[in-house]
Amino acid sequence: METALQGIEHAYERSGKGLVLTVSYSPAYFDRFDEDLPESVALPAPKALAPFEDPELDTPDAVVHLASNTAQVVLGAEESLKGNKSTLNGVEQPDTALTDVFEIVDRRTGFVGDGLPAENAGDAEGVPADKVPEDAPLFMGFKSGFKKNQASEDRVTIQSGPFAGGTTQHISKLQLNLNQWYNQDDRWQREAKMFCPYHAENDVIEGTGDNLGTSSKIDDCKPVDETAREMGVVGHSQKSAAARENDTPIILRRDFNSTDGGQAGLHFLALQRGIGDFEKTRKAMNGTDVSKQSAVGQRNNNGILQYIRTERRGNYLVPPRSLRALPPAQPATNAQEVTDASS
Amino acid sequence: MPGMNEQGGYKCALTYSFPHRFWLMKPSGITKVDIQSADSVHMMPIVWDAQTRIIPPDINPQLTITQDGESVDQFAPWPMLSQPMGFHFGDNAQLNGNGTYTVDVSIGGPSTRRTGSLAENQGDASFTFEFEFNQSTLDEISVTDLSEDKQGTKGAVDVMDMEMLPSSQVPKPDALPGDVRGTATSGDAKFVVTVLEDASRFGGTQDQVYLAVSPRTPYNRIMLPMMSLSGTLTRGGSSVFDGILQATIDPELRYHYGATVSDVQSGDELTITVDSPPQTARHEGYETAFVDMPSMTLTL
Ligand code: HEM
Repeated sequence: METALQGIEHAYERSGKGLVLTVSYSPAYFDRFDEDLPESVALPAPKALAPFEDPELDTPDAVVHLASNTAQVVLGAEESLKGNKSTLNGVEQPDTALTDVFEIVDRRTGFVGDGLPAENAGDAEGVPADKVPEDAPLFMGFKSGFKKNQASEDRVTIQSGPFAGGTTQHISKLQLNLNQWYNQDDRWQREAKMFCPYHAENDVIEGTGDNLGTSSKIDDCKPVDETAREMGVVGHSQKSAAARENDTPIILRRDFNSTDGGQAGLHFLALQRGIGDFEKTRKAMNGTDVSKQSAVGQRNNNGILQYIRTERRGNYLVPPRSLRALPPAQPATNAQEVTDASS
Repeated sequence: MPGMNEQGGYKCALTYSFPHRFWLMKPSGITKVDIQSADSVHMMPIVWDAQTRIIPPDINPQLTITQDGESVDQFAPWPMLSQPMGFHFGDNAQLNGNGTYTVDVSIGGPSTRRTGSLAENQGDASFTFEFEFNQSTLDEISVTDLSEDKQGTKGAVDVMDMEMLPSSQVPKPDALPGDVRGTATSGDAKFVVTVLEDASRFGGTQDQVYLAVSPRTPYNRIMLPMMSLSGTLTRGGSSVFDGILQATIDPELRYHYGATVSDVQSGDELTITVDSPPQTARHEGYETAFVDMPSMTLTL
């Protein structure tokens, strides 16, 4: 397996221009071992995370995530991992394929970046192609993943034990309803529901939100409960920010859009130190307490919950590089020491 | 109506009509939603608690429409108010013309406080309907609507009394439990105030009382969910209660807002403040009602 992975790594530089990849393993994989995972790894089985969702729970053994600024690179690497290429980008490929060990049970594709959603709108049902802004990086029309609204890599890195240096990964598949979002709601509602009513009232966001710079300026929003009571609507970012620790988000979002199955969707991939951090963030995003105490509904006026439906959820451990090929549940020695370098 | 199903303590009926325009609420007013050329039907899944026949407005159904296994449309319909249909969830769906469709309606757990037998009904059910769509019969459906000459005048169309379907009405004042102490009006809606002995069912104690406010549309008594209400109770000029009135679904009071207080004496003044009017979408006839809702004061 390591040989197969190194084959594609030798073909491209490790960057957005080249190829970036991770390999991760599910609780179902670790269940194959007699030993439990060490306590330093928080990797429960996936479950429904909102009262109104009933997702399929994913149990593949492993997930390989390939990313690149160039679609051809990802597709080429995939073929090589399947053993279908003798050379990749001019580099000779090993005889061993990933598919010697694994059977492919699922394949999810997607894109993120200015203009890509508008370009791909025609591939999915129910996307108002004329409404998705030409320069939007995501289907819902706003920039996401501002530098200051992401957890740092240190915050999502497992600090101790044999898997130190690794992280956990949650991957959900969300289906989007862009008809309601673009054809029924107006711009004010989209801004209020994605960010917060304060942003909509004060015209804080221009276009897709590039004008915001490096932060979504969520500190300017009023407290969630106050907005819920007095305006009857709360924003997605405003609510999600309630999960922060030390005033910083605790998950690192790497979500991207998709037209898999002819549907407008979003693969919500997030990295965090333990799956509990994701669950806590999703709980904040659900705003269940807010909806109990105000005019905000379970999904109505409750951030973007009205427009997204969770179809699948899966939890994974991304081991440190040295353990990325078929790690045991209890590796013998500490893989690597992590010092919270930047802190 | 393409049928009715029962599962997990809930029943569900799928009703439909031709596409409708409607309005969505926002703090500064309303947003008009026009009918789009691709809209085929206005779909309304009606879900109710089998035992009490209450339609819980806090459970957002999710619809998935397929044809021969292929996805056609999927959405979470909006909570809405209409004169003929009362409170319901609905939205215009886009189908591929005449034919047979499968409609899945799934519901999750509740998110509004519940009391009595309703508290045990946790939801999580899904219902499947076969739906025969035919444009020509749709055009013939007689949907109760305001006739030309009545448009713009005050008054409401009778709530559609579709056999077997439960209604989203709340009880008449004299049918409400407790001691009914008065009615106030704001933004066209009526707010009936009743006081129940023994607040233990509502999270209080036996010697506390429960102050319940039951808002409804003026003519049809349709519940008005998804408001932020708060109340102040003053006695001899000093405040004895000042807080939110929490939305609650109770088998007897049905959908209402309430708070636990130590006692209510005659002569107490109650001020009800509407911090947010009902955030339900509005069908024609209700687009200007229940929007501007000044606070009300009544002597109990
Ligand atoms: C269709 C799905 C989603 C879209 C389009 C979306 C979009 C956005 C946008 C535009 C922002 C504000 C800009 C930024 O801070 O990056 C944001 C913030 C955020 N979102 Fe989402 N999001 C989606 C789903 C989710 C999910 C499923 C979660 C996980 C629970 C999540 C968690 C967060 C967090 C933690 C923040 C930052 C909050 C903070 O500043 O502390 N989002 N999202």
